[in-house]
Amino acid sequence: MVIPPISPLASLPTAGVAAAPAAADPAAFGNVLAQGMEKLQSLHRTSDSMAVQAVTGQLSDIHDYTIAANEAAVATQLTVAVRNKAVEAFTEIMRMPM
Amino acid sequence: MTLFGAMNTAGSGLVLQRKWLDAVSDNIANINTVRSTSGNAFQARYVVAQANDYGNAAGVQVAGIEYGDAAGRVVYQPDHPLADADGNVRMPDIDLSDQMTQLIMAQRGYQANLAVVERAQAAYQQAIGLGR
Repeated sequence: MVIPPISPLASLPTAGVAAAPAAADPAAFGNVLAQGMEKLQSLHRTSDSMAVQAVTGQLSDIHDYTIAANEAAVATQLTVAVRNKAVEAFTEIMRMPM
Repeated sequence: MTLFGAMNTAGSGLVLQRKWLDAVSDNIANINTVRSTSGNAFQARYVVAQANDYGNAAGVQVAGIEYGDAAGRVVYQPDHPLADADGNVRMPDIDLSDQMTQLIMAQRGYQANLAVVERAQAAYQQAIGLGR
């Protein structure tokens, strides 16, 4: 006895919006987040190098370091706020009754 | 202007005020520097500020250093080792009260720029807290 294979439902509409390639779109949320992360990383790198300069006595301006540290801290707060909002939106969608 | 524009602009102001402080401290440190009358007196340092073009990189920068009068004041001090045949030496033409005034101005300018940094940071943090 031959069991015929189950044919796929051809008429089922594909999830068009979700299946769109996100990597090609520069405005996609993931890419925006990745760019923000890169900027944040460079800010932290600047702050860290200035901390080293301050310790080794090569820093001519104290405020350069404090401003860089402030910028890095504020940028981190901004990134965390954006991430929290994104996670919040995701959980909100997950709670949606089906 | 990019992100943190206000902070970076205030940072350029801080650099200028710090250099002004350096110049004033140099002038005060050398206020009793005595030279012989054959040479130049110690010349006071003056920081020249110049505004950056707005939109490119806003803020201020040091355009250069101007020097005070090289002739200075010729003072009669016959017991000084550097005194010439007439007993004169050359003292720098720096007014201490004028330097103290400039010191206060530079210090206040530095504080004002630091206040800008603090306010900018508080503003950014409040913007982050929007809708929380």
